[in-house]
Amino acid sequence: MPRVQSISSRVRDFTGGLDAFDVEARTVRALIRELDARFPGLGELVEENMAIAIDGEIFQDALGASLGEASEIVLIPKISGG
Amino acid sequence: MSDGNQGGSKLKVVGQRPVRPDGVDKVTGRAMFGADFHLPGMLTGRIKRSPHAHARIIRIDTSAAEALAGVKAVATGADFDTGAGGEVEAGEGATAVKEVAANCLAMGKALYQGHAVAAVAATSPEIAAEALDLIEVTYEVLPHVIDVEEAIAANAPVLHDDLFTTGVTPKPAKPSNVAVKTVMGRGDVPGAFAAADVTVEGHYSTAAVHQGYIEPHACVASFGADGQSVVWCSSQGQFLVRALCAKILNMPLSDIKVIPAEIGGGFGGKTTVYLEPVALALSRKCGRPVKIVMSREEVFLASGPTSGAVMDIKLAATEAGKITAAEMTLKYQAGAFPGSPVHLGCMTAFACYDVENLALTGYDVVSNRPKVAAYRAPGAPMAAFAVESAIDDLAKKLGMDPIDIRILNGVRDGMKTVYGATVRSCAFVEMLEQLKAHPHYQTPVAAGQARGVAAGFWFNIGGESSAAVHVDEDGGVTVVSSNPDIGGSRASMAMMAAEVLGLPIEKVRCTVADTTSIGFSGSTGGSRVTFATGMAVCQAAEKVVVDLKRRAAATWECDIANVEWRDGAAVCTDPAKDVKPLSMKALASKSAKTGGPIASEVSINAQGAAAGYGAHICDLQIDRETGRTTVVRYTAAQDVGRAIHPSYVEGQLQGGAAQGVGWALNEEYVYGPKGTLDNASFLDYRMPVASDLPMIDTILVETKPNPRHPFGAKGVGEVPIVPPLAAVANAVSQIVGKRMTSLPLSPARVLAAMEEK
Amino acid sequence: MSGVDYLSPTTIAEAVKALGQAGGGARLMAGGTDLLVQMRGGRAKPQTVIDIKRIPGLMDIRAEGGGFVIGAATSGAVLGEHAALRKAWPGIVEAANLIGSTQVQGRASLGGNLCNASPAADSVPALIAAAAVCIVEGSNGRREIPVEKVQISPGKMSLAPDEILIAFRLPPRPAKSGDAYLRLIPRTEMDIAVVGAGVSLTFDASGTCMAARVSVGAVAPTALLVEGAGMALVGSKLDEGALAKMDAAVAAACKPISDKRGTAEYRTKIACVLARRAALIARERAGA
Repeated sequence: MPRVQSISSRVRDFTGGLDAFDVEARTVRALIRELDARFPGLGELVEENMAIAIDGEIFQDALGASLGEASEIVLIPKISGG
Repeated sequence: MSDGNQGGSKLKVVGQRPVRPDGVDKVTGRAMFGADFHLPGMLTGRIKRSPHAHARIIRIDTSAAEALAGVKAVATGADFDTGAGGEVEAGEGATAVKEVAANCLAMGKALYQGHAVAAVAATSPEIAAEALDLIEVTYEVLPHVIDVEEAIAANAPVLHDDLFTTGVTPKPAKPSNVAVKTVMGRGDVPGAFAAADVTVEGHYSTAAVHQGYIEPHACVASFGADGQSVVWCSSQGQFLVRALCAKILNMPLSDIKVIPAEIGGGFGGKTTVYLEPVALALSRKCGRPVKIVMSREEVFLASGPTSGAVMDIKLAATEAGKITAAEMTLKYQAGAFPGSPVHLGCMTAFACYDVENLALTGYDVVSNRPKVAAYRAPGAPMAAFAVESAIDDLAKKLGMDPIDIRILNGVRDGMKTVYGATVRSCAFVEMLEQLKAHPHYQTPVAAGQARGVAAGFWFNIGGESSAAVHVDEDGGVTVVSSNPDIGGSRASMAMMAAEVLGLPIEKVRCTVADTTSIGFSGSTGGSRVTFATGMAVCQAAEKVVVDLKRRAAATWECDIANVEWRDGAAVCTDPAKDVKPLSMKALASKSAKTGGPIASEVSINAQGAAAGYGAHICDLQIDRETGRTTVVRYTAAQDVGRAIHPSYVEGQLQGGAAQGVGWALNEEYVYGPKGTLDNASFLDYRMPVASDLPMIDTILVETKPNPRHPFGAKGVGEVPIVPPLAAVANAVSQIVGKRMTSLPLSPARVLAAMEEK
Repeated sequence: MSGVDYLSPTTIAEAVKALGQAGGGARLMAGGTDLLVQMRGGRAKPQTVIDIKRIPGLMDIRAEGGGFVIGAATSGAVLGEHAALRKAWPGIVEAANLIGSTQVQGRASLGGNLCNASPAADSVPALIAAAAVCIVEGSNGRREIPVEKVQISPGKMSLAPDEILIAFRLPPRPAKSGDAYLRLIPRTEMDIAVVGAGVSLTFDASGTCMAARVSVGAVAPTALLVEGAGMALVGSKLDEGALAKMDAAVAAACKPISDKRGTAEYRTKIACVLARRAALIARERAGA
């Protein structure tokens, strides 16, 4: 089951302080639905405001990506720069 | 062409150093900057700013100003309509539109000295200035707070009644000045510290510093009677300006056309808006174009510097110098509204090193200072100052060479960062080895001087970019880029297109498009343009090549599989055909008869950017009687992937290093007891001048091109400002004889440290 | 500021008259490198600007009475190219050439630098050390006044409202004389002095100091002539004892403020350091 971690303070507000959890999903779309079901509002936050790292690669917009059985996912605030 | 490992020797244009295409216009004054646009009937806009660091705005009486002859419009925050609010990507991350709007024109409270509270548009600068004096603002002055630790303290004046710290569970009951608490890490930090052979710790602080662009913010806005508006502005992101203006004025995006002017520096500070919504609001009220240009004083008072920071750090290591754990707390100033880059400081602090156990905590803290804006690798230089100073302490404790300890701990491909990315295409260690072998490092330190070494990291992001390639009827090519050029991107886009098309660079021009003339793009920043927009350019050029081959095949009546594109011409490889090559010019002149105009536009969300790593050496000396530091020799190395135009890449390394040296030695915001800024000018905000620095040598490491970019390029613009703070401080600390933990290292502070033994 | 009158008189009398008539609403302009910046920044709002550059003699350097007379509006760039002046008064010339930047040097003048009345003016300590005298003219005629008596406090001068600074007179230079000016700035140019020190010395054949004037700037409301510092050096060969006495005199004379450019304590320390260093350079230039 894919493992999701977060380094975002805003995610913690939705999850009651949790930074890591397992989510059964094989696509990012499914992941977002699952997150939203478990923590209402989190799915939208992730879809709109976060970048997602899947197995070490950062996607700024990952909706089309697929997830493996042992995928490691990290929720990251979108990175910009100066 | 998609092979990023394409051999350097096979390239004809990429890797060369053609004369920069914008040079003549810039040195002769032809270049059109934001303040250079004039329109018939144009008015001068000026902004009234709060003299108080913190005050409730009781009333704004604009009647006398409106009655003054020559005044055509007056605006306040009431003229904005952010509706439901929402967020927009800007500079350092998501930013709340309501806060951007309130920063452009105050809503209810003045939150820093210089905060805009009203604006006028008048027929002359003199009348506009007079009108400002006629606007009466009634303030209730409130206690203010400037310093980050004081803003966190329990009894600090609170800036926002509705600011409850994000990232704390349970949610705090009372509002505070701590906007965000961010936490990240891995492993078992306490266990690693318990088992450590050696530990170092330190408490570090840096001051707020400004991006220091030579061109103040400037814009002209023209709002038509039919609701269509045009904005010319100095900006790093015309689409961002459009989005923010549309949201702040509650307008459809397609009703605003934003034309990016030539830009005199941005460094991240122009990835937001200050003037554009105000100018639009004024223009909307009177139906005439309005120009607003900030004075240098206004730039300091009211445009974002980057955060000052306070940091605590502890490292645990083995006797052999391997860092096993690190614990760090970072507190960054956000200015008047939330949004410091503290989370980026956490993410980048140890990104150069393979540290198994990490605990990073960051606090985003508001106080009565201007809202911070992105500044070249936002958040990273301050964190690196603490980390690289602590590593220096560790190296000294263990008697290790400062480059060796970084090689020992350096990341290599396959390792994991704390923020979720796996390291790949990384030449950090090779870069350190090249730095060590460089004549600078091989030359013994001169008597009376000291040498500091430090490394640094910054992401590259990909993101959305658009580009078009048009072939002109005479065979020349125009490349249209979606991104304002702050670092030579017009040159590199043209070069990459020329390479793909097999043309000499003289035949390819690049221009930057407005929001109606090219597909959407993210702002110029994040070291992403050569990577992402370059990728779009290459893809568009490749499509043009396919199109040209098709036309040649049709002309020769042969299979397209028998057509090759070589050196700017189509060549037929079918032995049965006896035909001469068809040049770009020949095909272009017949384009109408072979299918129409030859052009291609590509819009992408670029994936696969590879991060950047740098390391610097700084030799300096200090006048022992005055504490004044002179940098005598400086070398900057960086993992650049492939330098499209090496002179520009070298320029980025040199520019970032110069800014970092200024940050380390003399730049800071000085506040008076009333929370007013004492040094709002270049006279007393001391940036380095050209004679302050020696020639900065550069090492461009190209051993690991990024295979995900057509030419292997990595973004290079931001990394170079990350190492200098500690490179300088490490050297100064050696001469002074103790760890210098507080920037800037101005002469008086250094002298005091030397005398306090 | 709805309009500024610009006058460009060609005689001193014309300029004096215009200044008097303006009743405080006029500012004189030589190079304009302070005035124009202040006008743009809203800190100066004159109704009339009186440009003195077309008055004969205001932009000249001439040898007179064994010494030099320097027109008050002469630019730093011209001073820097004047071989005889540089030879006799390298300290004054280097001080003048520190003002602003290369671009500013084309316009900035000694007269403007003094009359802007900033405590940190770079040329003033060097002129004071040189015992320079100001030639001033107003409706009451012409008079001479030592440079150190011109500034009263930041932004204020002792001149009458209609008096114009015409020129600086430098005294004849005895053999074995040298001067030097040093300032501390955190950068290398385009900066304002945190501390400035000007020293002028004359030695006899045996290397003993016969005359000494020491002046420090940016450490008091005006540049100071530190008489005790000069006296400490006279009769000595600049040995450590004499220099230490000079330090003490300089330190005692400093009345600096703490501001964004430096603390009082730091400024006092540096004033002593710079005075010493300037004295040693002046001696070297004197060939003593």
